[in-house]
Parts: sequence; structure tokens; C-alpha cells
Amino acid sequence: MSYLVNRLLSMMLTLFLISVITFTVTNILPGDVAMMIMGTQSNPEALAGLRQSLGLNDPLIVQYGRWIGGMLTGDWGNSLVFKEPIAPLLLQKMKASALIVLFSMSIALVCAVPLGVWAAVHANRWQDTAASSASLVGVSLPDFFWGIMLILLFARGLGWLPSSGFIDPADDIWGAMRHALLPSLALGLGLMAHLTRMTRATMTGILNQEFIRVARAKGLDEGTVVWRYGLANAVGPVMTVAGLQVGYLFGSIIVIESLFNFTGMGWLTYQALLNRDIPLIQASVFVIAAVVMLANLIVDLLYVAVDPRIRLS
Amino acid sequence: MPDGNTPLVSVEGLRVEFASDGGTIVGVENVSFSVAPGETVCIVGESGSGKSVTSLSLMRLVEFGGGTIAEGRLRFAGQGGEIDLAQADPETMRGIRGNEIGMIFQEPMTSLNPVFTIERQMTDGLRAHRGLSGAQARQRALELLQEVRIPEPERRLKQYPHELSGGMRQRVVIAMAMACRPRLLIADEPTTALDVTIQAEILALIDRLKRENGMAVLFITHDMAVVAQMADRVVVMYRGNLVEEGPVGRIFAAPQEEYTRALLAAVPRLGDMRGKPGPEPLRLVGADAPDSVQAAVPPGDPEPLLQVLHLTTRYPVKGGLFRRTVANVHAVEDVSFDIAKGETLALVGESGCGKSSCGRSILRLAEPTSGQVLLDRTDVLALNERDLRRKVWRDIQMVFQDPFASLNPYMRLAAQVAEPLSNFGIAKGSEIEDRIAALFDRVELPRSFMRRFPHELSGGQRQRVAIARALAVSPKLIVADEAVSALDVSVQAQVLNLMMELQSTLGISYLFISHDMAVVERVSHRVGVMYLGRLVEIGSRAQIFENPRHPYTHSLLSAVPIADPARRTVRDDLKFRPIPSPVFPVGHEPAPSVYDEVEPGHLVLRQQAS
Repeated sequence: MSYLVNRLLSMMLTLFLISVITFTVTNILPGDVAMMIMGTQSNPEALAGLRQSLGLNDPLIVQYGRWIGGMLTGDWGNSLVFKEPIAPLLLQKMKASALIVLFSMSIALVCAVPLGVWAAVHANRWQDTAASSASLVGVSLPDFFWGIMLILLFARGLGWLPSSGFIDPADDIWGAMRHALLPSLALGLGLMAHLTRMTRATMTGILNQEFIRVARAKGLDEGTVVWRYGLANAVGPVMTVAGLQVGYLFGSIIVIESLFNFTGMGWLTYQALLNRDIPLIQASVFVIAAVVMLANLIVDLLYVAVDPRIRLS
Repeated sequence: MPDGNTPLVSVEGLRVEFASDGGTIVGVENVSFSVAPGETVCIVGESGSGKSVTSLSLMRLVEFGGGTIAEGRLRFAGQGGEIDLAQADPETMRGIRGNEIGMIFQEPMTSLNPVFTIERQMTDGLRAHRGLSGAQARQRALELLQEVRIPEPERRLKQYPHELSGGMRQRVVIAMAMACRPRLLIADEPTTALDVTIQAEILALIDRLKRENGMAVLFITHDMAVVAQMADRVVVMYRGNLVEEGPVGRIFAAPQEEYTRALLAAVPRLGDMRGKPGPEPLRLVGADAPDSVQAAVPPGDPEPLLQVLHLTTRYPVKGGLFRRTVANVHAVEDVSFDIAKGETLALVGESGCGKSSCGRSILRLAEPTSGQVLLDRTDVLALNERDLRRKVWRDIQMVFQDPFASLNPYMRLAAQVAEPLSNFGIAKGSEIEDRIAALFDRVELPRSFMRRFPHELSGGQRQRVAIARALAVSPKLIVADEAVSALDVSVQAQVLNLMMELQSTLGISYLFISHDMAVVERVSHRVGVMYLGRLVEIGSRAQIFENPRHPYTHSLLSAVPIADPARRTVRDDLKFRPIPSPVFPVGHEPAPSVYDEVEPGHLVLRQQAS
């Protein structure tokens, strides 16, 4: 329990530092919120008045205090572009992104783990070379390349799946899945390649361990030796890498969601950056950071469940 | 064939090949021997002799390591009649492995799956072979744990491997191998990774199980002392070939082959040095005139080179959010000794006793908590970093256990030996080259090796390079931390002889840190025994080995296997106390060490009421 408290405390500390950095950086950036609101042609006096009323003339530390106070009490302000409160907007977009992040992670894990194990079992033979070469191609190419290829093949060419848009699963689960599949695949292919290589490397090491030889010497069949004795030891390391990739995925969705016109966090952040919607940028960065940290905390807690050697202290 | 019994196993003309990029490598060739029911056969040999390959072939596990059985028959008198294991299909082999032939391996720390409970690992073999239900298998696992005398068996079943000590884990591995009452137990170096007292317990356990179950044992080892204690018959292997085979008494008393004689000559035997005045090189067969190596001069200078007074070293245990010190490991606790010029002081003890920490503390590689270290009357602990480097690290050099890990794999050997010379500004330019050549001569390595890389050398040759590097700055003291422990016996003997020869010609002192009592008896003038961070007994070699006074010294000496089949000491009633934890809360101050001088120069730690 004290472990969890420690972890949450250190997470708070990290979030505080992130909030300071985001706030400072967005304030150093060129661009003026008042001018963004009123337009470049506006009356200088009206602009000055708006600045005064928005508190933009206050010292930075006072502005930060006001902002973080609002973040903590749930008043996240209004988006300049979308003209609506930020908190419900972010929540809605986060749900959309969670759909493709979880979907792509599942696709990647379901394919990568068996493929990696298979490559490790046949280490240094043609099966291994084939799997390793394919995953090297996978990690080398950027996500948007896969996105474009998938659109060309499944949307334009075969016409099986829609190439853009987002549907809320609450409204139409089948439609939601159809719309989420291509962006998830585009995100998942690179991830899958990465996790395949990781699984292969981990399993190769494990299969050379003495306890694997002992398991064989007990007369257990090869399936049990590899898929139970071996894989149980690989779950932790593979999971950790997968958890770290959540951060990478939240970077990738900015490009992929824009490519598929999938209106999630990535798309929203892109719009915010494009239009210098500073309150929205600050809140998005903060939320993404929190989600990524939470994902890693969950992975660390799961690690304890799969590896009895790790104790929470 | 002894007693005219039908053999349980007979290996006939075995040849195992490994495929590699450079073509086929022969692992073992033309090996034939047999094991009768209830008999213990030891296969002995140095690294690369093919002893493990032979045992893995019997289990057909060699194939998982890339080997193939190219020729020969492996006849096994199983329950279903005699079969040739070399020709058996995978299904048949699975039925034999763990059922009719059990196997245990060297590393108890890695032999058990870290993420499964002991119960799961003990029962899955039983369920596979015997079709037992979960409850039946659990009952049998409990019986097995009792049979190998593990305390609190019920609790152990629920535990994970990391919660058990090394000795306990090896007992679990043995219990697992015994699960289906195999007719043959293959033990591949089962005690090599264990401390000597644990080794004695495990050897006794294997011996008892063998007697109680009428099981045959094929025991693979590099240790002639273990062979002498365990074997009925011995198979000697060298470079993939069988050299000699015979009853254990005959092999030790009258070895027929040159290699066996050389191997036996290289083994230091506990008790060999009785009545000798000082260290003495081993007489190696085939080596050039061992008599030319003079016995090291006994120390004459009364002024000690190194004085260690009340040395204490503690390592902090960090914890919590701010990584505060929550406890201390008391690695070295109030230790005092001195070393004279040209003298070898050995520190012996089991893993975790603080002997290595003690050596590192003298050099301040581990910063001591308190105490005094005087090198030629200079207080080492008072020096600043610059003087420590210039003075102490020049006069004291270290040689470590693993010669491969202590050499840089990317640097040529000449450059590595040259490093101390240029670091200390001892030599420049072409003079360096000459010095290195002389050092290579000194440690009996060909000068052509100067251009080589570490991976091109054997273990013994690498350790010679490490010694040459230590000698480069003409040190007064060399701290040798388990410097010969990783070497094969014949190589170990050569390196020990070299060290003794260097001492007699250069007058170097050694702090010889080792767990091997027989080696220590051979090389040292004086011996200190460490236990739980304390020096429990110190005295001359003869005082410690011939008149041990502290109970721990007694139990350590009684656990050492003796390389003489006529003096079998393997007993079943052995029960050594496990070493308690040296971790104490912050602020704990143990009582100072108080010694009784039982005879001149022989100090014994007074037992404390704790």
C-alpha cells in the first residue's frame, strides 16, 4: 500500500513539473490569446482591455497559479477555437483515442507475442530470419506510411472499410469498429514489429536458461516448456515495453488521427496547435502526460502480479 | 563389468557432433563405458573434456544445444526392456526423462523457474508421468521434500524459488529429479556453485538417496576431491575422449595414463602440507623441473608492510521515496591483521562472510566506515584521492576471479598491460614496449600474445595477463580475490606456482582471498578465517589447519572433501547452521571483537553472548 502511495506522490510531482514546463513554454511561444480571440484587425484599445480582463498582464506566476487552480478544481476554461468548455471536450476526444490506442495495442500484442516466440524457438533458422526481417521493415517505416497504404488498399482499392471519420461506440458499435480498424492497424503495425523483436530477444534469452533444461529433463512436452515455463517469464518484460509504447502511441495519433480524420485527442491537439489555442494545448498536454503515466503505473502493478520476485517497497 | 551384473546403462562408441559456421565440431568421440544398477560412476575432466556432452546425450538433451549423436549406442535397461536411447523417438524419450532417468544441474539459482511456485514445479512432472491428481501429486511432493530433509515442507510448496537459499534450492531440484524414483540419477556438477558446507550436505544427501533407493548415479564433476568421496568407479575424460576408466581406489592409487597422473598431481590435498615450514609449489607432471622453483622465503622483516586495525565496512540499504538509508549490511566488522613483506596471508570463508569486502576496503574500492589501514606506516584512510591513487594504488594491485571480465575485450593485451605504466608515468615510448615484453616473459606467456585480444586466450592465459598487469607497477602487495577459483585444476596449479615463484624472486606479499581450504593450505604463511564479517580465528598455517580452535573453523575444515578415496568423510548426520543475516538497523553497534591468544600468534575470537 505504501508503494502505491509513493508512486502516486511521485506521479503528482512529475505532473507538477510537466504543468510548469507546459505553461512556461506555451507562454514563451509567439502569439497572443487576446489577438487570437478578437482577430488581427481588432482595435488596440479593445485588445488591451481584453488582455486586462483575461489577466494577461499579471505576472507569469500569478497566471500559473490561476491556471493550475482551475485545472485542479475542474474549471479548465474554454477552447478558443471550439468556443466550448475544455474539460468535457477533452473527455469526449480521449474516449475516441482510447478506442484506437487499446485496439492497436491488442492487435500488436496478439500478433507479436506468438510471432516472437516462434522466432525464438527457431532462433538462427529461416523462420527467425523471416520474422526478424519483416519486423525490421515494420519498425523502419513511419506510421503514416502504413496509414496511406491501408487507405489505398482497403478503402480505395477494395472498398471494404471507410477511410475516415469517427463513430461513437455507444451509438453504433459495429460502425465504430469499422471506422477504428484502419487507424488502429496503422498504429499497430509498427508497434507489432517492435514488440515482436522484443519478445524474440527476451524469449531467446529465457530458452537458454537452466530452468528450461530442467523442465525438459523432467520429461515435460515441448509445448509446455516453451509456452508455459518460457513465456511466463517473458510476460513481464514484454508488458513493460508495451506500457512504454503507450507514450509513443499518443505521439503517433497526432499524425494518424489527422490522416484518417478521426476526431480524437490527436486530432484535437493538432487543431489546437494549428490555431494557437493555448488553453487547449496546455490542457491536452497535461491530460496526455497523466494518461501515459497512469498506463505505466498500471503496467508496474501488473508486473508484480506476474513476477513474484518483485515486491512493492 | 563389476559383479557380472547386467549394466543399467552402457554407452558404446558415442560420437557427438556440433554444427558450426566453421564446419563440424566433434564434442565427444569414441566414448564407451557402463553403469551398473546401484553404482556411482563419476565422469571427471576439465572444461571442454566432453563430460557434460556425454551426460546430456544420455538424456538426448544435447540436441537442444545444437548437437547430434552421430555414432554409437546408448543402451538403457528400462522398465519396458532394453532400448537404444540414441535411436529412441521424442515420445519415448519424454517418457524416460524425469521418469526413469532424473537429472540435476550445476546452478541451483537458475535451475528453478522463478515465476512458478515450488509446488507447481514439483508436481507437473508427476502429473505428466504418473497421471496423478493434483492432491496426490501434492502429497507426493510433500513426501519428497521430507526425504531431502527440507524444514517446513508445507510452507515451501507455496513459496517461490527466490525465497529459498542456494542449498535449499538444490535440495528441491534433487527432490524433483527423484520424483518418479528414477533408476539412474545424472548429476552434472551439482555442488560446484555451492559453499563447502552446503556441498558436504548435498553430497551426503545424494549418497543417502542412492543407498536407500538402490539407484545408480552418474556424477559429472571437475573436482577430484568430490570424485574421491563419491565414486565407485571413475571415467576420466580429456578433450572429448575417454582417457581412463577404473575403480576409484585404483585410479587414485595407480593411475595408468599420463593425463590422469597430471590431473591428480595438480590437485592440492588438504593435509598435504602438514609439517612443512612454508608454502610449496605443486609438483606438476610434465612441467619443466618443478624443483627449480624455490619454496617462498619465510618472512624475516619484523616491520609489517600492511597493518589493518579495527577495520569496519558497512553498506547502506536504501529504501523509501527519498532513498534514505533504512539499514546497514555489516560486511566487515572490527577486523584487524597485518601482513609482513614477502608473506601470504589468506582470508578464507564462505560466500557473504566479508572476505572480498575486506580486500576492497584496504584499497578503499569500498570506503571503510571506520578503522585504520597502515601501508608502510601511511594511513591509507586519511589520504586524499590524489595521494590514494599515487601511493596506495601503485603499491597494492588486485587480481580478480574472472580473468575474462577483468580484461577489456576491445583492447590488445600489450595495451592493457601498458596502462598502469603510463597511468603512473613509470615508462614512456619504446621503454614501455620493452617492459611489457619483460612482463610477458615473467608470467611465462609468449611475446607473440602481446598483439592478441583477450578472447583469443584460454582462461589460465588470461589470468597470467591480469597478473602481468598487476606486476607492471612493481607493487608491494597483491590482493588476489579468488584469483584461481575459475580455473581448471591443472591451470590453477600452474598459476599458483607462478604466484609462489614471483613471491620468492620479487618478495611480493599477497592477501589471498579464497573459499578453497586446500589451495589456501598450499600457498599461505598465515591464515585468517572470516565469518559474518568478523575474523574469527587467525594464526600461522599450521596453527589453523592442525590446531583449529574456533567452532566455525572446525566445521569449515570438516566439510572440505579430501581427494583420497581411502578417507571418506561424506556423512549423513551433517547439519551446518545457516549463516545469519548481516543486515542490521541503522545505529546498531555490535560489540568489538575480543580475541584470546591461545598460542603465540594464534588468535581466536571470544564467543559473544548474543
